Amino acid sequence: MARTAAQAFSWGQFRVMLRVIRKGEQHLDNTGMGIGGDGDARGKGLAAKMGEGMRRVAMAFLFVVLAAGFFMLGLAMGEAGVTPYAALSLSVASLVTLTVLTGLYQAVNILYFVRDLGYYLTLPISATTIMWAKLAHFLALSVLGDLILAPLPLGCLLAWGVAWPAWALVVAAYVLCAVAVNLALVIACVPVMRFSRLAHDKDRFSRVFGAIIVVFALAIGVGSQFALRGNGLASMASGVEGLLSGGVPAVVMGVLCPPTLFMRWVLEGGAAGAAAGLVMSLACVALYGWALSALAGRWYFEGVQALQGAGSKSGRSVEGAELTRVTSARGQVAANLSRDWKTMARVPVFFNQFVLSSLLMPLYFVVIMVASGFMAFSEVEDAGVSLPVLLDLVRGVAATFTLGSIGLVWCAVGVIGFSILLGFSSYTFTMGVSRDGDDFFFLRGLPLDWRAYLVAKFVSPYLLSTVPMLVIIVVALVALGVPAPSGAYLVLVYLGATAALGLLSLGLGAWFPRLNWDNEAQLVKGGGATLMVFAGLVVGVVVMVLPALALLGCGLWAVLDPVAALALALALLVVECAALAGWLLGPCARRLSLLER
Amino acid sequence: MIRIDHVSKSYDGGATTAVRDLSLQIESGEIFGLLGPNGAGKSTLLNMLAGVLAPSSGTIELDGVDVAADPLAAKRGLCYVSDSPDHLLRLKGHEFLRFIADVYEVPAGVRSARIAELAREYGMEGELDNKIQSYSHGMRQKMMIMGALLPDPPIWILDEPMTGLDPKASWLLKQSMRRHADAGKTVLFSTHVLDVAEKVVDRVGVIAHGELLFVGTVAEMREHFKSNGSLEEMFLELTSENSPFALGEKDGGEPGGVEGDGSSAAPAAPPTSEGPDRSAGAPKPPEVR
Repeated sequence: MARTAAQAFSWGQFRVMLRVIRKGEQHLDNTGMGIGGDGDARGKGLAAKMGEGMRRVAMAFLFVVLAAGFFMLGLAMGEAGVTPYAALSLSVASLVTLTVLTGLYQAVNILYFVRDLGYYLTLPISATTIMWAKLAHFLALSVLGDLILAPLPLGCLLAWGVAWPAWALVVAAYVLCAVAVNLALVIACVPVMRFSRLAHDKDRFSRVFGAIIVVFALAIGVGSQFALRGNGLASMASGVEGLLSGGVPAVVMGVLCPPTLFMRWVLEGGAAGAAAGLVMSLACVALYGWALSALAGRWYFEGVQALQGAGSKSGRSVEGAELTRVTSARGQVAANLSRDWKTMARVPVFFNQFVLSSLLMPLYFVVIMVASGFMAFSEVEDAGVSLPVLLDLVRGVAATFTLGSIGLVWCAVGVIGFSILLGFSSYTFTMGVSRDGDDFFFLRGLPLDWRAYLVAKFVSPYLLSTVPMLVIIVVALVALGVPAPSGAYLVLVYLGATAALGLLSLGLGAWFPRLNWDNEAQLVKGGGATLMVFAGLVVGVVVMVLPALALLGCGLWAVLDPVAALALALALLVVECAALAGWLLGPCARRLSLLER
Repeated sequence: MIRIDHVSKSYDGGATTAVRDLSLQIESGEIFGLLGPNGAGKSTLLNMLAGVLAPSSGTIELDGVDVAADPLAAKRGLCYVSDSPDHLLRLKGHEFLRFIADVYEVPAGVRSARIAELAREYGMEGELDNKIQSYSHGMRQKMMIMGALLPDPPIWILDEPMTGLDPKASWLLKQSMRRHADAGKTVLFSTHVLDVAEKVVDRVGVIAHGELLFVGTVAEMREHFKSNGSLEEMFLELTSENSPFALGEKDGGEPGGVEGDGSSAAPAAPPTSEGPDRSAGAPKPPEVR
C-alpha cells in the first residue's frame, strides 16, 4: 500500500520533471542521430546566445524548407492524378518505415541513455511520474519531428481543390498516426531494454543502430534518385495505397499504426465515416496508451536499473612478451595516428559519421552509377543499340582522351567538379581537432609535437575518404580504356584536389576548434553541424577555383592550349597543397600549441 | 627546480585575475605542497607550470628551461596529473600508457618493464586490457598517475593526486614522491587534504584569491601562528574572511601587508638566486604588492 502511494502519479511533480527534462537533460546519444537537443555545448555570453539563436533559426529554416519541399511534391502528385488518400497513405507509410528503422534508437536515447536518470532515481519523486514525464517528452519530440511529412497529403489536397474541413481531417488523421506509431515503438522498446543484452552495451547498441540509420540514409539518397524521375512518386503512392488495402502488409501496418485501418473512412467515408474513423483512431491511440502505461509501469525502471549496472570487462591480463609487443616504441606521428584512429573507430558517433559514411560513400556512387547506367542503357536499347556496341562507342571516345586533348581537359573539369562535391564530406577533416574535446587540454600538458598531431589528423580521414573512391576511379578509367598517361593525370588531379580540400578543412578546424562539448553527439548534430557541412562546399569551391579557371581557360574561353591548361591546373594544385601544408604545419600547429581553455 | 617569477594570469582582458604577481622557488629534492580553498588559483598555477596555460605576465622556469620560450623541452622535463582523470577514455590501459611512452620517448627497452611494475604496484595488472572508460574514478586516477610516473621526468606536478585513490595507492604515491625528492628531483602537488600535506611535504604554500599567502615548513607555519593546532586550523585562520590577507584583498588594500611582530603568517618571498629562506620561523618582511 505504501509502495503504491509512493509510486502515485503527481501532476505537480510531472510538470517540474517535464520542465527539467526539456531544459537541462543530457543524453548519452552515442550515434549523434537521435532527436533532442542533447544539451548545448558549453558557452556563455552574447556569442554563445547568438550561436544558439542562429542554431535554432537554421534548424527552423531547414524544417520549413523540407516541409515546403514535401508540400510541393504532394502538389505535383495531386496534379499527376494521385488521390489525397494515396498521398496520405504514402506519407504515413514513410512515417512508419522511418520510425521503425530509426525510432527505436531515438526512443532508447531519450528514455534510457540519459546521464541524469540515475540522479532522478534518488529524488523523492514517484517512478511513475518520472516515467510519464520522460514518455511525454519523447512523444512530443517525435510527433513534432514527424510533422515534416504532413505537408505531402496537404499539397495533394491543394491540387485537388478540396475544401478546408478535409485539410483538418488529414492533419488529425496524420497526427493520430504519428502518436500511435510512436506509442507502438515505445511499447516494443520497453521490453527490449528490460531483457536485451545488446541494448545494455551502449556502444554496441549505438553502433548497430547507427549503422542501420546511415545505411538507411544512403538508401534514401539512392532511392530518391529514381523516385523523383518521371512518375516514380505517383507509382509509389498507388503502390502503397494497394498495400494498405488488404493482406499481410495492411495487418502489419495496422499493428504498428492502427489508425491506418480507418484512414479511408476519414478521407472518403463522408461526414459519418470521418467521425467514426477519427473516433476509432482515437480509441486505438488510447488503447496503446493504456498498454504502454501498463508495460512501462512494470518494466521501465527495471530496464533503467539494468542499464545502470551494465558494462563488462575482459579481465585478461596483458604481461610478458605480449605487454612488450603492445607497448613497443613508435614515432609521434604513428602514436597520434593510432590514438586518433582508435578514438574515431570506438566512439559510435564518430564511427557512424566519419568512418562508416566515408566507407559507404563510394558504394553510394557505384549504386547510383550502375542504376543510372542501367536505366540509360534500357532507353538506348529501346532505340536499337546493343550493350557491346554502346561499350565500344564509349571506349572509342575514351581512347581519344590523350594528353593534350580537349576531352581530357573536360574530364579534368569533371574531376574538379566532383572534388567540389566532396566538400560535403570534408567536415571529417574540419572536425579533426574538435573531436578531441577536453582531451585536447590533456594533450596540451604533454610534450606533443603538434605538427605530428596535425599530420595524424590529416592521414585518417584522407585515407578513408580518398582511397575507396580512388579504387573506383582507377577501375572506371581502366574499364573505359582511357590511355594510361591521361588516367594517371586524372588520378593526380583527384589526389591533389582532395588533399588541398582536406588540408584547408583541417586547418580551418584547427584554427577555430570546437572543444567545449560534453558529449560527442553535440559535435555532429544540430544546425551548427549542418551548416558546417554546407560550408564544406564553399571550402571546396575556394580550393578548386584556380585549377578550374585554368582548365576552363582552355575548354570555354580558348585562351590556353590544352597542354598548358592541364599543366597549369596540376601545378596550381601542387602549389596549393604545398602552401596549405605549410600553413597547417606552421601557424596552425603553433596556434594549437598555445590554445587555452 | 621550479622558479616562478612575478607570474600573473588574468582573463577577460584583465577583468578576472586568477593568479596575481606570484613568485616562488621550489628547490630540487623538495616536495612542495600547495594548499588553498576552492577557486584559489591552484589549478591555474599548476596549469601554467605544465604549459597548458600561458602566464599573462612573469616567467616560469623548470630546471632552467623557460616554459614560454621552449615549451616542448620544459614539458619533457615534467609530468603533470590534472585534477580530472577522465582523459582518452576510449583507449585501453596499455594503449594509453604506450601513447604516453611514445610522446615522452621512453626507451623501448625499459617501457614494458616499467609499465608492468607500475601496474603491479597500483594493482592494475588485470585492467590494462580494458578501456579506461570502464574504470572506476579511482582506477582512472591510478592510470593517470601511472602515465605520469612512466616517463619518470625530474619534475612532478600533481593536481589533487590523492583524490579517489584507495589507501594503498595513496600510500604508494606518497612513497614514490618521497623517493623522487630524495633522488634530488622536484615534486609539486596541490591538495585539499591537509593531513596529507602535513605528513608528506617539505614545505607548504598557501594560496587564496590568486596570491601566495604563506610559504614555509609546517613548523614555520606553527611558529608564525604560535599555535599547536592542526594545519587545518591554521589554514582556516589564514584563508578566513577575517584574515589580514583576506581583509586586505576585500578592501582593495595590501593583501600581504602584515604589520606588527610578524606573528601572523609569513607572506611569500620573491625568488632569489639563493632560493627561498627555509630557516624555521624566520619572519619575512611583508611584501608590498
